[in-house]
Parts: sequence; C-alpha cells; structure tokens
Amino acid sequence: MKSHSKGNFHQTAAPLLFLLPNILIFGTFIIIPAIQGLRMSFTEWGVFTPVRFIGLDNFKELIADEVFWKTFSNTLVYSFFTVSLIMVYSLALALLLYRNTLKGEKLFRSLFYIPSLLSMITVGIAWRFILGDEMGIINYLLRQSGGEGVRWLTDTTLSMVSIIGVSIWAQAGYYMVVLIAGLQAIPTELYEASRIDGASPPKTFFFITMPLLKSTLLVVMVLATIASFKAYELISVMTKGGPGYATKLIVQQVYQVAFLEDRMGYASAMSIALMLIIALFTLLQFKLNGKEQDHE
Amino acid sequence: MKKLCVTLMLVMLAVTTLFAAGAKEDASKKDVTLSVLWFNDGNESEVFLKTMDDYLKANPNITLDLQIVAYNEYDQKLKLMISGGNPPDLARITTNTLSVVVDSLEPIDNHVQDIEAVKKQYLPSMVAFASNKDGKFVAYPTEATANGMLVNKTAFNNAGIDVDEVSKTWTWGEWETIIKKVLAANPKMKYGLAVDFTPHRFSTIMYQWGGHFLNADQSSINFNNPGTIETLKWFKHVHDAALLPKSVWLGSENPAELFQAGLVAGHIGGSWNINTYNKNVKDFEWKAVRMPKGLINSSVPGGKFVASFKGSKNQAEAFKFMAAFADKTHNEIYSRDTFNIPSRNDAVVTYPSNSEDFKVFLEELKVTPAFTADEWKNTNLSKVTTYIREQIVEVLLGNITAEQAAANVDTKGAPYFK
Repeated sequence: MKSHSKGNFHQTAAPLLFLLPNILIFGTFIIIPAIQGLRMSFTEWGVFTPVRFIGLDNFKELIADEVFWKTFSNTLVYSFFTVSLIMVYSLALALLLYRNTLKGEKLFRSLFYIPSLLSMITVGIAWRFILGDEMGIINYLLRQSGGEGVRWLTDTTLSMVSIIGVSIWAQAGYYMVVLIAGLQAIPTELYEASRIDGASPPKTFFFITMPLLKSTLLVVMVLATIASFKAYELISVMTKGGPGYATKLIVQQVYQVAFLEDRMGYASAMSIALMLIIALFTLLQFKLNGKEQDHE
Repeated sequence: MKKLCVTLMLVMLAVTTLFAAGAKEDASKKDVTLSVLWFNDGNESEVFLKTMDDYLKANPNITLDLQIVAYNEYDQKLKLMISGGNPPDLARITTNTLSVVVDSLEPIDNHVQDIEAVKKQYLPSMVAFASNKDGKFVAYPTEATANGMLVNKTAFNNAGIDVDEVSKTWTWGEWETIIKKVLAANPKMKYGLAVDFTPHRFSTIMYQWGGHFLNADQSSINFNNPGTIETLKWFKHVHDAALLPKSVWLGSENPAELFQAGLVAGHIGGSWNINTYNKNVKDFEWKAVRMPKGLINSSVPGGKFVASFKGSKNQAEAFKFMAAFADKTHNEIYSRDTFNIPSRNDAVVTYPSNSEDFKVFLEELKVTPAFTADEWKNTNLSKVTTYIREQIVEVLLGNITAEQAAANVDTKGAPYFK
C-alpha cells in the first residue's frame, strides 16, 4: 500500500513539481495576460481614460472594419508564402548541408544561420539600404549599368514580395538547423537498405526521408506560422506597412489602434481574434499531420 | 545567558535599524538622481548636458539618469511609464506628445509663486501649446520649431534662377514652372521637392491652400473641406508629375537623405534640419527660403518642452532643474548650440552660422494663422493622424479619390470628438 502511494507520487506529483517553475512562468506571462486581454476586449478604455464595459461592441466593430480585414488578408498572404517558402528553402539547405561529408559544409551552415541571430530591426534597416528606391544599393547598381530602378518597396505587389523574401532570408537558417537535426536522426541503415534495393534518390527522398522527417517538418511549420502571424519589427522598419495598406499585417494594426489611437479595448479584441486565428491554424496543422500518421 | 544573548541581539537590531533609517533620511535630503527621458533630433542630449553642467556643478547632490529613446518609440515608452505609475522625473516632449500626455503633467503653477510672470517669458504660441484645458501651464518651452523650405541653391543657380528673389513672392503654380527649369538644368537631380512623410508636414501645404483638420471651435473633425481636398489633389498631381519622389510617401525613404544626396531641389521639413544640413551638406550651397503661397502663406508652429509628471518621484528637484534649464542664459546656450529657435521672448541668440535661415523660419511663423497651433495641440487629432497619413497614401496610389479620403478621415475621426 505504501509503495503503491509512493509510486503514484513519483508518477504524478513529482513530474508536476519539476514542471512547476515552467508552469508558473507560463501562467504569469502567457495565461494571465491572455485572460486579461480577453477581459479588456469587452471594454472601452485608453491609457489615460477609465475602463467602461461595452460587451461585444468591439467584436461587432471588428466585423465591419475594412482595414482590419485588409490587414487580415495581408497576414494570410504573408504567412502562406513565408511559411511554405521557408519550409522548401530551409529543407533544401538542410539536405545540402546535413551530411558532414562535404568540404566547407560547416562554414556554409554558419553563413546561412547568421541572419537568424540578427534582430529583425537590424535586418530591416540593412535591407532598406539595399532595396530603397532612390538610395538603395541594388537600384544604384541598376542605374549605373544603364537600367531603371525597381520599385522594391513602393510598388504595392513588389513590397510584399520584398518583405516575404527578406523574412525567408532572415529565418531560414534557424529552421535549417532544426531540419538538419531531424535528418541526422534518421537511421543510416535505412538509406543503405534502400541503396541495396536499388531505390533511386527521389524515391529514397519521398519514401524514407520525408516520412521520417514529418514530425520535424510539422514543428518547423507550426513555429514558422506562429512567427509569421506575429511579424512586426521587420515590416515596421522596411515599409511601415505601406505603401498604403499593402504590407500592413494585423500586428501593425493592433499596435496602431492600441498606442496611436489609444483604444486598448478594441486593440485587445483584435489580438484575441489574432490569437484565435493562430490557434485555429495550429490545430489544423496538428490535425492534418495526425490524420496522415493514422493512415500510415 | 540565553536571555542576555536575546537582549543583546535586540539592542543591536534596534541600533542598526535606527542608523539605517537615519542614513536613508539623510540621503533623501542630499543625493537626488533625476530620471530624464530624452530623444534626439540631432545633438540635443549632448548640448543639454553641456548646458546644464554649471547647474550640476553648483548642485553636486543632483545627478541625472538620462535615458535616450528613439523618437519612433518615445511616445509609447512614455505612455507606458505613466500608465505603469512610474513616470520619469522629467521628460523632453514635442507638441504631439504634449497633446497626448497633457493630463498627466504636473502644472508648473503648483511650483512657482507668479505663474503669469513665468508665462510672459515665452513666445505666445509656446504658451498656448503648454497650457492645459484649465489654463494651467504644464511644461517649460525649450525651443520653438516651424516647418519651412530648404533649397539646394546651387541647383537654382545652375538654372540661372535667383531663388532668393523669386521665393519672396512665388506661388505654388510659379514654383512648378521654376522647378521644372531647375530639374532641366541639373540632370543628376531627379525631383523638385521632398516633403516629410508626416501629416504635420503635409498640413503645412494644406494650411496654405486654406484647408484644416478641425472645425472652427475644435469640437469636431472637419478634414472634408475644399482646401484640404484641393491640397490632396495637388499633392497627387505633383507626385504623378515626378516633381516629388514617390519613395518618401510610398516607401518611407528619408527626405533629408535625398536632399543631402543632391537628388531633390528642396525639402519641406522642420527647422531642426538647419542643424543637420549645416553639419552634413558640403557638396552644394543650400539655404532656407519662404515657401510658395497657396491661398495664404503659412507654416506650422511647434516646439519642444521639458515637463514633470504627476507622481514623479523627485518633483521638487525636477522643477528647480527645469526652471534653470528654461532660464534666459541656459535657453540661449541651448538654442545656439542645437541650432534651434529659442522659446523665450527675451533670448538673444547669435548662431555661429545660418542666422539668415532662422530668420526665414521666424518670418514663416509670423504669418501662420493661430488656429494651426490649436489644431495640433488637440489630443483627439493626434489619434487620427496615422490614419490620415494612410489615407493620403491611398490617394497617391490612386486607390481612392481625394474626396473619398477626406470623407473617410471624418468618419474615422468623428467618434473621438464625441
């Protein structure tokens, strides 16, 4: 009886105790602010004005807010292209650089990884110098060679392309490292067996590498999706969300409404909507992955 | 023995506590660290410290904890400090910031004997900006600012145009003709004028065309008016005609950099650019000229201030410090070394150079209608300015008409004035 209760303690309470510091941090900095945010979304208040409960009015306004939906669709476009291209690009880099057999592999890994160590503000400033219309390096070189400058940051479509490109450049190195770890965890015997069986490289990739890398790819996809929905600094520095609303994402709009228009309640409602969207996409990703694993 | 030990410990504890309390009380009387929140347009923090060096030497118990924040993040940082109950002892603030935090500022009235005598020392527009809705004086003006036009004089000379002469009476229509000649004579120069990417600078031209943001008694937003619509149309026209670079309003490129690179013939910006260009421009001759006339001539008055807050920890010392910083001697030194227009009536500043440029900005201020200051100190207007900027860009992109933009701004702004 005594040993049974001791076993229970080890199995239930002890792990909980070990997790307690993390649970406390998570609760203090994530759960409580999220609950507070939800509460604020039902109110009208500014930094210097008293709080007034207004029920669902903020959410009703949100449904009719054209700028919010514009930033919402921008966020979806940005996220879709950033996440999918990051996955393809970082997987390609990882496949090239995971074997530890090529000369200079470590150097290239470092080179591709370095951008992910920089703050997005630094990245944004650097790329503004490169892509600026009048003062940018690329346009300077184009004009020097007799060509026309390209409106990287002032054309409504190209500005989004530029932002997506820079985001991929800045983040792919990090995901490359995650995928390299995933690739190196795949048993080499499987590749040897497939080689003996005469499998072609594409078949090996699709029938061995991809299935065994799926859980790592899911992690990359979820992390990249969450990061893309929260992208703020890079866009603020590079385009300020412009031209017009062309590159303005929900997070920029939340910041503007909260701190420039001083509408904390409405900004909280936007944040709650954003949180729900991220949660929905994450659940969807897990669900799809779960279904595929069931089929296997 | 046990009792003796306990008694001894209690005595020691009491003595230690007494000493500690005494030391704390003594320190509060002597050493004060004033927390100062600051931002820079140019070299202001450096000059501020240099200007107040004599005060700090005369008051060795005062030290400054100067925190310099980028202007982009300044308002947010200050608002969070105030709302978190931890405002700085004093902060440098602009007219924009002042309109947002005005209710949190500690009135100077509570710290001086004769507030009217204090107010009389400063330019009337500065006093208007620094007065709250109850008429209390809430900030010491440190420098006056104005929007104006700085031109590449060399480029005008190359076109055989005496910019000093033509700018005395030119209209925007005449400016367009002249600037086309200037561009033709300077193949490397691409544009005629760069206007800062802010509604504040846009409003300079808007006021000249008879436009406004608010109605006459400031009780509601009224961006949808003929003068403003006319300005929006003109602004689109000059962008489409490549007289103004699209990269500033569509790509947030820095107009001061374009001017310094010799890519634009003129720049409508703040008076602090005199300081920047004085230091950086070596390749060509530049100067301040009067802006072309629309229906009227106008600038936009502005200024910088220092203020303390309700709940600041060292208010008494902060007010003594601010009063010293804003006195005649210190204001003259600070204005001279930062190349700014002094905020005081009695200040006599001899700048090492560019005195004529400052005169031009002062002349612009003199003809500026008084309502422009009232509009820019309106707290509610500050909540819509980012939206106004976005709507102007939408017009430039051709996504909406000037009329639609003006109507959208009024719809967006109306709830703030209820």
